[in-house]
Amino acid sequence: MIPRPLAAAAGAAATALLLAACSAPGSGTSTSPSSSSSSSSSAPTTPIKIAVVDAQSGSESDLGQFEYRGVKLAVDQANAAGGIDGRKISLGLFDDQGDPTVGTELARKIASEGYIAMFGTAESAVTLAMAPILESEHIPNITSGQSTKLLAVGSPYLFLNGPTGLTYDSTLAKYVVTTKGYKKIAMLTNNDSYGAGEHDAFLSSLKGLGITPVAAQVVPADQTNMTPALTAIRGSNPQVLFIGAEEAQSGLIVKQARALGMTAVIAEGAPAGTPLYMSTAGTSDANGTIVSSPYLGNGVNSASQAFASAYTSAYGNAPELHGAKAYDGAKVMIAALQACHGCTGLALATAIRAVHYEGLLGSFTYNNQGVGIFATAIGVISDGKIAPITS
Amino acid sequence: MQSFFQTLVSGLSFGAVYALVALGFSLVYRTMGLVNFAHGAVLMIGAYVASTFYLSARLPFAVAVPAAMAATFAVGLVIERVLRPLENKDFDLMLIGTIGAGTVLEAVAIVIWTSSGRGVPSPVRTAPLDIGGVRIGTYNLLVIGVVAVAMAALSLFLQRTKRGAAMQAVAMDHEAATAVGIHVGRSNALAFGLGAGLAALAGSLAAPLLYVSPVMGDSLGIQGFAAAILGGFGSIPGAIVGGLGIGVIGSFAAQSFQGYSDLVTFVVFTVLVMIRPTGIFGERTVNRA
Repeated sequence: MIPRPLAAAAGAAATALLLAACSAPGSGTSTSPSSSSSSSSSAPTTPIKIAVVDAQSGSESDLGQFEYRGVKLAVDQANAAGGIDGRKISLGLFDDQGDPTVGTELARKIASEGYIAMFGTAESAVTLAMAPILESEHIPNITSGQSTKLLAVGSPYLFLNGPTGLTYDSTLAKYVVTTKGYKKIAMLTNNDSYGAGEHDAFLSSLKGLGITPVAAQVVPADQTNMTPALTAIRGSNPQVLFIGAEEAQSGLIVKQARALGMTAVIAEGAPAGTPLYMSTAGTSDANGTIVSSPYLGNGVNSASQAFASAYTSAYGNAPELHGAKAYDGAKVMIAALQACHGCTGLALATAIRAVHYEGLLGSFTYNNQGVGIFATAIGVISDGKIAPITS
Repeated sequence: MQSFFQTLVSGLSFGAVYALVALGFSLVYRTMGLVNFAHGAVLMIGAYVASTFYLSARLPFAVAVPAAMAATFAVGLVIERVLRPLENKDFDLMLIGTIGAGTVLEAVAIVIWTSSGRGVPSPVRTAPLDIGGVRIGTYNLLVIGVVAVAMAALSLFLQRTKRGAAMQAVAMDHEAATAVGIHVGRSNALAFGLGAGLAALAGSLAAPLLYVSPVMGDSLGIQGFAAAILGGFGSIPGAIVGGLGIGVIGSFAAQSFQGYSDLVTFVVFTVLVMIRPTGIFGERTVNRA
């Protein structure tokens, strides 16, 4: 005779196996329709659930906050205009803590909770960790990451809301070397995924122009005392110091470089175009920084002025690059949803790729690798503001 | 040689901040036998309060810092009061309680000041000293001076005042201290409050050197904790020597090992602690909280 607990366990296992065998193919426990559906099977009035996954705590939380605000502004505007065929977009905010492991857990969570698309993350390492899961769950993702490793994933569901790091740095290198004629260039980057990517991208751009850096130092991403590295660089007397680090650390690098008496011109990609960089470096030390960015400020044209006005009204602070990127990414997603009438899965990904959108960062036209913007601009910081260079 | 002295100077500058952090750890441990894992978060609160007084309320920096210390002293009193039911009953739960307090403080900081950090301009605007090509920031000299004064003041308090003596008596034998009329709870509260005040002083002074954010206390807390262990947990002069030591080791590790500087610093720290487990000025003055 089989003991009762064992029989009960065997019965439960058999039932589970039976139910799994009978379940529909596609996204497993997700409530979203299968990947090949071209329209939502939900009732017309149900909200369209889109997840925003970013760091809301930890060292990257300011980026997460900028991104969420940009996305929310675009979604609020779309909902106020009637939504997608009368359906409102409902955003769900998730904290990835800047941790790839947490990101993978969240990827499964948003799939199981019926989210049909995702914005984020702002950290390429987390996005890379989430990408395979989102692809298997057929969830299109528009990310603020810029690492070229994102392109290597080869997922038809992954899109960037800005240029790649290589675009930022090749534009910057060309300006510094070809236009300005600087030859003695030093590099200081950190060792996280962003800094390592910046190191590789700028170095390859320099080599393509026939320039070898006079010094190259790497610091840990949480390093606060950069003086030893800067002292080593100071000895090579560079004309330009390229920085590959996040906003706050970049600002500290500049502050400490100036305290050491270094007069090299600072050159950097996106982080230098943010108020965070300028406040950490200090206005006088940040002046003269050459910035490569697709968003050179809130007053560049009427579209950026309108965006800045709406953003400031909503949140009380002026926007910057990360908010603008997230806003553009959300507008692309909204345009795709409108075009396909609220579709999901591969159909939504296809609709995103078909979008042509004139955004704050430029003209979006997505290629097969998920990149939609292929150029940045050069600006110089003066009196706490970035001004586009005059050619 | 210029590079050597520049690296040494920068190590001593940051080491002074670590020393202040270590002082707070050592004070609480010396008087309660407790490692306060909320210390880094309290430092962060102190930095935010000081920068708010300095930047938003436009108080002079010399006024903003003591104001932040007073406010954070109160935070320390609250933490001790919450943990008081566990005193002399469950040491492990007290330790966990301090970890929880740190998490709460970080969340409170995000609610009050948002997750966006802030840069704080240096209150000292004079140009750095230049001695043979070695640049020494005048603000860095100020930080080192303040640390020296803080160490002297704390030593005097513990050795020459009744309150200080009472705190040490509680640490040695809380039952005997109670028997002679010392209120253990109030003594521990004072220890926590003073520790929090020292953390606020460290955070306030670090703010113009670094970047004030909800996570700034994490790495400073770890560096200060390591400094306290290196110097001898509970030792006041040990906290200073340990802090300066960690700062200098980290500085030279950064110069030679770049991206692996953290690894090298803590390998060196581990070796030193293995050689002398009680730290440079190692002493055992307490048994438990």
